[in-house]
Amino acid sequence: MKIKRLFTIRVWILIALMLLAVIAIAPKFNTNGVEINFVERNSQASQNGLQVGEIIKEINKRQVNDVAEYSRLIREASFVEPKEVEVKTTKGVYIYEVLEDIGFTLDNLTIVNKGNITKAEGSIISINGKNITSNNFNNILFEALPYKTLNIKTDRNNYAFLVNKELEISVDNVERTNIRKGLDLKGGTRVLLKPITDEEISDNQIMDLIKVLNNRLNIYGLSDVKIRPADVGDDKLVVVEIARTDIQGIKELIEEQGKFEAKIKNTTVFVGGEKDITFVCREDGTCSGIRQCGKQNDVDFCSFEFLITLSGNAAKKHAEATKDLEINLSAGGTEGYLSETLDFYVDDELVDSLNIGASLRGQEATQIIISGSGSGADREEANADALANMDKLQTILITGSLPFKIEIVSLNVISPVLGDNFVKTSIYVGLFAILAVGLVIFIRYRILKIVIPMIFIMLSELLLILGVSAIIKSNLDLAAIAGIIASIGTGVDDQIVITDEVITGQETVYNWKERLKKAFFIIMAAYAATFAAMIPLLTTGAGLLRGFAVVTIIGISIGVFITRPVFASLIENLLKKE
Amino acid sequence: MGVKDFYQKHHYKLFWIPIILILISLISLGIGYLTNGEIIQRDVSLKGGISANLITNQNIDIKELEEFLSSKLDAEVSVRSLVEFTTREQSGLIIETSSLDSERLREALKDKIDFEDDKISIEEVGPSLGVAFFKQMITALLVAFLLMAIVVFVMFRSVAPSLAVVLAAFGDMIVTLAILRLIGFELSITSIAGFLLVIGYSIDTDMLLTSRVLKRRGEGSVMDRIFGAFKTGITMTLTTLVALIVAYFITNSSVLKGIFTIIIVALIVDLFMTWLMNTSILIMYCKKKGIL
Repeated sequence: MKIKRLFTIRVWILIALMLLAVIAIAPKFNTNGVEINFVERNSQASQNGLQVGEIIKEINKRQVNDVAEYSRLIREASFVEPKEVEVKTTKGVYIYEVLEDIGFTLDNLTIVNKGNITKAEGSIISINGKNITSNNFNNILFEALPYKTLNIKTDRNNYAFLVNKELEISVDNVERTNIRKGLDLKGGTRVLLKPITDEEISDNQIMDLIKVLNNRLNIYGLSDVKIRPADVGDDKLVVVEIARTDIQGIKELIEEQGKFEAKIKNTTVFVGGEKDITFVCREDGTCSGIRQCGKQNDVDFCSFEFLITLSGNAAKKHAEATKDLEINLSAGGTEGYLSETLDFYVDDELVDSLNIGASLRGQEATQIIISGSGSGADREEANADALANMDKLQTILITGSLPFKIEIVSLNVISPVLGDNFVKTSIYVGLFAILAVGLVIFIRYRILKIVIPMIFIMLSELLLILGVSAIIKSNLDLAAIAGIIASIGTGVDDQIVITDEVITGQETVYNWKERLKKAFFIIMAAYAATFAAMIPLLTTGAGLLRGFAVVTIIGISIGVFITRPVFASLIENLLKKE
Repeated sequence: MGVKDFYQKHHYKLFWIPIILILISLISLGIGYLTNGEIIQRDVSLKGGISANLITNQNIDIKELEEFLSSKLDAEVSVRSLVEFTTREQSGLIIETSSLDSERLREALKDKIDFEDDKISIEEVGPSLGVAFFKQMITALLVAFLLMAIVVFVMFRSVAPSLAVVLAAFGDMIVTLAILRLIGFELSITSIAGFLLVIGYSIDTDMLLTSRVLKRRGEGSVMDRIFGAFKTGITMTLTTLVALIVAYFITNSSVLKGIFTIIIVALIVDLFMTWLMNTSILIMYCKKKGIL
């Protein structure tokens, strides 16, 4: 038998398509490193310029290959031993160990905002023997704390900076192919939202909701957020997918309608959103940040402030609302406050009240300080809570409120470790399933000439399905893997039909070309039925089975139009009697 | 040939085996509906609640954990352990509850088990959404079934053989559902993928059989043609069955295990539907119409 005869035009087309599929999948074998997918704002990482999307290649000259290695290396690299400091104040000398901070801040050289790690009090004189003045405190503090140099090499830059705690970023493995993994394979958070309203919601309103949510999540620092509408029955839902699992308070951030109102007495002066607020100060210590911490009834609390700029219209309203207020003189008697406070409401709940300086009465104030607080069991917790609250408030001030109230009807957090496991075993599943099919076929026909082309066709179908998914950027998830297995399985069934037609055609006098045509008729009919059955799934279940439907359609289409004709041509030529 | 003669003589009796199977299944599903209000158990994705999947090899007393979580969440909790295929060791836990407070579940779990946050998957579904999903699933299945029936009728253009194919697919679904109910399988949102594939696999062999018998007149007797179709069809079913059974044991994903279970059960049921029921109907049809 001549090998050459096997390579018909159909076979060549398949080989060419397989090559294209490999190019589309674009496997990268030598990518090492981990990709940054989140950088905490105002952290040591962000201040030194690390950005989302950078690929970390080395930490302290040691190569980083995957997330597990990154976690180990970064922990080692940023681990610092507590260091002893000697703080001398007007009240005495205090010696204690410090790690991330010295345990207090200064107000005109007087120790305030004390945490739990020190008993130091009074006015500060020196740290580790170095005299403190009002402008060298930060430098001396820096020397006193146990900082360590961290070298990070990324694909864009080399960084070297001092750290005294673990870097506040999160990373992900670099994708090694163009195949997009669905949420249940790569891990992440999926939230389904439903409007709470008796009125009919229009598609436009849903698009507005998506816009605000998108803004809100982006401003909150989350990248790689996908939001899409989905209809389930009569309900219009919104699906939010985020490629991270460790988002604290995600429920609140999304579910909160974020209707911000600033009121004096019962008059609304301004609301959240760009119409009333033209600028919100953030990430700039001079006009935004934690201002004070303290303790009350055993609960630590910290307060924050940030500046915003009001539009002309909102400023006019401020003048209007304050012009008739009385002035309450403070105890000292010179400077006073107005008789009413400026009250901040989020979703109709009072979050803070501010005294309004007497000088602002009837004025068109364009610059307003917004304040609020956070609390916790210790100062560190209170500080973090206050920062988170400030972040949230800034976010809703910028983006405005959602067009209607929403509720979370489904929250799905998928472990990335679990997803990785699934990918690995799915590869085994595929390989062993193909081997099992080969074995059964061999037992049935006892001819390798049938088994080998069948396995080749199965592998080529797998490759082509993955290639097309990579090109159309369809997400592969677990259900889609089932779809791949099933469509290759259907392919095998059809190949058995073709093989049997050819074998019996050889034995009888009937025109087997004609019979093959008939076999293809059955195949086409089954194809049409399966194709049609997949269409409702594109939207069913909030699109959660879209991956399955798309992959199955791709799989059976490739089978019917590409690989089945190739198999028929191969098997004809292989079994044809000389 | 013995088998062929047996078939020829007794096909009328063989026909009743699948019919009785379908009737028993319908009754069993009916009883389920009357007693529990549902024909088959649903998991949290279709009825609401939380399902959590935790990676841990820490040794846990499952009963004790169930009780502890129940009291913490004030809701019914069921815990199963996941076993690694190769080592046969516990690799994780699956926790299901009707509660809707995933944060509290996470905290309660942390009281008993040491784990990092990226080692747990939590799926929380509101009950109304679950029910809406379930309804959509039924609709999608009905639509698919209808489309399949239309294709079959267009292909064969004669009522009895077409009905036989559709009936076989229907029987396959019903008996599969009843068996799944019996083995305690819980339907989830991804089960729809399994059932849709079942429709395809189910009619595959039926169409092969029908077209061989009706469209290949002259290539041997009716029984010869049936026997030829049987050889091809059984190879098709066996390859798929073996591949899926292998896949079932290897995969560690409950989603895939669920889909594979449905197809495996349905393929076995389909052997009865195609080679007992559909074949018998075809033999009767051929006799009546005088097809040789």
